[in-house]
Amino acid sequence: MTREVYIVAAKRSALTKAKKGSFANTRPDDLLAQLMQKTVASSGVMPEDIGDVIIGCAFPEAEQGLNVARVAAQLAGLPDSVPGMTINRYCSSGLNAIAIAANRIQTGEIEVAIAGGVESMSMIPMGGNDFSVSPAVFQNDKHIGLAYGMGITAEKVAEQWQVSRQAQDEFATASNRKADAAQKAGFFAEEITPIEISRKKANEKSGEIISTTKIVDSDEGIRADTTPEGLAKLKPAFAAAGSVTPGNSSQMTDGAGVLVLVSGEYLKQHGLKALGKFHGFAVSGVAAEIMGIGPIKAIPQLIKQQNLTLKDIDWIELNEAFAAQSLAVINELDLDSGKVNPYGGAIALGHPLGATGAVLAVRVLHGLRRTQKKYGIVSMCIGAGMGAAGLFEVC
Amino acid sequence: MSENLFIRKVAILGAGVMGAQIGAHFANAGVPVILFDLKAKDGAANAIGDKALANLTKLKPNPVASAKSFAYLSVANYDDNLDLLAQCDLIIEAIAERMDWKVDLFYKIAPYLNPHAIIATNTSGLSVEELANSVPESLHSHFCGIHFFNPPRYMPLVELIPSSKTDQAVLTALETFLVSGLGKSVIEAKDTPNFVANRIGVFSMMAVLEYAEKFNIPFEVVDQLTGKNLGRAKSATFRTADVVGLDTFAHVVETMTAKCKDGFESSYLIPEWLDKLIKAGALGQKTKAGIFRKDKDGIKVIDIALGDYRPADKKADPDVLAILQKKSWAEKMAALHDSTHQEAQFLWATFRDLFHYCAVLIGEITDTPRDMDLALRWGFGWKEGPFEIWQQAGWLQLAQWIKEDIAAGKTISQKPLPAWVFKLSDGVYVAGKHYDHSVEKLVELDLLPVYNRQLFPELLLNERIKIEQHTLYENAGVKLWHSGDNIGVLSFKSKMCAIGMEVLTGLDEAISVAEKQCQALVIWQEKDVFSVGANLEEFGFSIMMNGAQAVQEIISAGHRIIANKLRYSQIPVVAGVRGYTFGGGCEIMLHCDAVVAALESYIGLVEAGVGLLPGWGGSTEMAVRAAAAQDPWTDLTKRYQNLAMAKVATSAYEAQEMGFLRESDTIVMNTREVLLIAKERAKFMAQSGYRPPIKPKVKVFGEQGIATINALLANMIAGKQISEHDLWIAKNIAEVMCGGLIDKNSIVSEDWLLNLELNKFTELAISEKTADRIQHMLSTGKPLRN
Repeated sequence: MTREVYIVAAKRSALTKAKKGSFANTRPDDLLAQLMQKTVASSGVMPEDIGDVIIGCAFPEAEQGLNVARVAAQLAGLPDSVPGMTINRYCSSGLNAIAIAANRIQTGEIEVAIAGGVESMSMIPMGGNDFSVSPAVFQNDKHIGLAYGMGITAEKVAEQWQVSRQAQDEFATASNRKADAAQKAGFFAEEITPIEISRKKANEKSGEIISTTKIVDSDEGIRADTTPEGLAKLKPAFAAAGSVTPGNSSQMTDGAGVLVLVSGEYLKQHGLKALGKFHGFAVSGVAAEIMGIGPIKAIPQLIKQQNLTLKDIDWIELNEAFAAQSLAVINELDLDSGKVNPYGGAIALGHPLGATGAVLAVRVLHGLRRTQKKYGIVSMCIGAGMGAAGLFEVC
Repeated sequence: MSENLFIRKVAILGAGVMGAQIGAHFANAGVPVILFDLKAKDGAANAIGDKALANLTKLKPNPVASAKSFAYLSVANYDDNLDLLAQCDLIIEAIAERMDWKVDLFYKIAPYLNPHAIIATNTSGLSVEELANSVPESLHSHFCGIHFFNPPRYMPLVELIPSSKTDQAVLTALETFLVSGLGKSVIEAKDTPNFVANRIGVFSMMAVLEYAEKFNIPFEVVDQLTGKNLGRAKSATFRTADVVGLDTFAHVVETMTAKCKDGFESSYLIPEWLDKLIKAGALGQKTKAGIFRKDKDGIKVIDIALGDYRPADKKADPDVLAILQKKSWAEKMAALHDSTHQEAQFLWATFRDLFHYCAVLIGEITDTPRDMDLALRWGFGWKEGPFEIWQQAGWLQLAQWIKEDIAAGKTISQKPLPAWVFKLSDGVYVAGKHYDHSVEKLVELDLLPVYNRQLFPELLLNERIKIEQHTLYENAGVKLWHSGDNIGVLSFKSKMCAIGMEVLTGLDEAISVAEKQCQALVIWQEKDVFSVGANLEEFGFSIMMNGAQAVQEIISAGHRIIANKLRYSQIPVVAGVRGYTFGGGCEIMLHCDAVVAALESYIGLVEAGVGLLPGWGGSTEMAVRAAAAQDPWTDLTKRYQNLAMAKVATSAYEAQEMGFLRESDTIVMNTREVLLIAKERAKFMAQSGYRPPIKPKVKVFGEQGIATINALLANMIAGKQISEHDLWIAKNIAEVMCGGLIDKNSIVSEDWLLNLELNKFTELAISEKTADRIQHMLSTGKPLRN
């Protein structure tokens, strides 16, 4: 028995720069709890009906450790009966959480689920707080890709798929311009749930604690004045004679995304209004050292599994880990670039690792609705050599 | 006995390049500094000061010794913050050279000063007496001139200029602080235009300019003749002018044109060609063109006759260069005087007029030739001052020749040599005494007590150090002595204190002798380096001849002597460090019980640069220290990077941050005080019940640590940021520092690590690419990246 899975709410936080943005001092569990509480409240589902909370996170430790899904569910005020699970498949974690939640609904195990992702790159560095690599990685040349940082994999993709520096810088510029236009048009306001953050500082003069609060409701990474000429001046960050620079790579970012999923039966029974449907998920592996081309495998696999063709797809959110891998994927799959990231991507808005899958799901659902289109794909490459893709439909 | 001068805080008035740099150096010395400037017209009130601080680290050489210095630097403005002056015991004014502005400022700040505050003006062109007469009465006794040289962190000289009303106690206290607290070299100058160093140094340059033109010597040849060959800075005359800035140079000359009526006025004129360059905006280094210009096709030089730049390819005559290679100044000067070669005549003329000028100005700008010589040494980097050269060349003989040339109308000035010159038969330095014109005779050296802290002070001609040296042991490589206090001082005799077998065996023997006869040992060098490391030439040769066998002998000797005998000696050993402390020299330092380092110490384990790893216990010691750190992995990776990238600390404070010096090691500002403090520290350790350390057990990261470092290296090699040989060297360093391919958190002995160090060093040392690196370093002095 396969049941339909509907999405009744899809929201994200604003995306802010790691270390210097508005969420730099906001704990990821607190951020997620607030977003979860507000998203559930707006969805119309009964909190006690929630059968599971599944949250993706790429480095689930320290401030986002201790099973952040359960911690956030509790802090969001959900009943004790609502369980929580944190999952990790790096950059696809947020999408993968949706897929797992959807599976549980499809099989009839539960009626309502919360799925999403969270990442504080301010607090937990890429690689985690205690980066460590197995000695076995170096005992066989085949495994060397597991030791590579993402930047080097992007260089490898750029070289192998012959993506020029200029093409990367132009792509990065377009990402910023599209994001800027979308922000100015107010499109992101529909996606974002404003988050209240608080700071507590010592007032040395009075001996008092100064508490301040602030509402964070807009993305902070967009560089509207970016030009290919300006980007061309940046030095390669990973390879001596490389082409990948901070300007044509995704930004380190803090953020979260949360979706509320229900079965078709539950939707009807409670008279809820659906934003869209989730149809399915595909994930596949590639060589770790060229992890950026993961979507080349995942997207065709998803299309085939759903009995569709690429022509049927109206909107593709392809995570911009790097301009180099994005262009390699677009060229290799011959994607219609007009359909790819119409509102810009992670180069402009940022890439909060484990949250990205959920953030892009939020975007594709609201985007399809706004443009009155039907099918949308969320896809991304994944560290250690994988690609994932998920299919959404707005009906 | 003079009273203590406490400088709780310093205020620098004027956040220009000079003011900010002076402030930075006080901060380097741990003195809190408030940098004042005008209130910004818009934006943050202290924006001018903020910008000055931000620009500090962009300057080269870096005026800031460590990021920590910034904790001592704050900014303020004259409108809002004058109340802060009450906390300041020293106020240094460094605003633009305008008498009216300076006087206005002094009147503005006067009501806010604490009554003991010393107010010093860093003027280089204005009269201190005139300024003193213009400041409020209350400031008179505490007011003087203080002339720092640029860049103030690195140029030793500070000229102190009293006015007629300056309290002598104030000058004494200030000099004491500048010498010991700030590490500067001080002379007292009379209040005359450009004071001492610039007055003489600039005249010397003007004389060179004049005679270069007269004898038709191309400028690049002038620089070849007047640089290293005369014991002066490599940049010699014209390139020095380019570095200083031709406009700045002209400005200093103009001060003399306007104010000096000393009979040498005809030389204080900027030649037309120089004026043209300045007007055309060719100001030297800062505008990328001046007297010299570096083009794509090589270095060009201005040619007066041509009125344009031409390739700087002319060379000095070998015969004249041969004269400059002669052993004594007597031989050199006689040969220059007698030669008819244009270049020799040019050199004779410039020396002659310089000596003439210096003699005439004694009594006017300073009373002692000694201070004049020191000013040129400390302010212009001359190895010997003019009077030292003159005297060595033959005092009366030269005086006679100068007199003849004056009579023949060959000199710039017709003024006769002063009579005192002819009254001194041997010169101005005789048997430790020196000439003082205020009493017109030779006098004993009478220095402030602060100079007693310098056991090896700067010595001028015929001066000797005062402390006794009883030799306890000596071989071809080292000398061990003490000065009656049973604290052994061990110094290396080799060039740049490089460590060959003789130094190593000397160290071995000296420790044995010191253990028997001394209460403590200090390793300290008379030269201004601690050691540039192992003698590559000597060891490279034996490795070439005897391969792995030779390597094992060299490394085992180092392990036995440095990592064991020195480390676990029965008496405390203190390293007294200044200047270069590289490789094997650094390893000796690391194995001492404590280090006393001058701020200007440049410490690093640089072996990777020649394809090696620190093999005399340095890699092991870094692992041992990391294991004891609060966060061992973070500490180990930092130390690992220092070694793998052959990083050198640019100051003692930076060496502390990089882990070459311990937090407990001592840093002193004056390099000449290192020996005294090292001896005091060694004595203190000996007398407070010193026991050698016990051999440590070291927790290591093993194969997992190595793998994690390898992951970082895999990215660098994939990104072609390092070569295959770099990778191999780096992996070997990682392997030693992580204790080899064993379980994480294994506990190993120091000997286990030393053995790994020996094996890994040997593998590297006998490799072909490392041999190439060593060869390249020996032949070019620069590292090869292969």
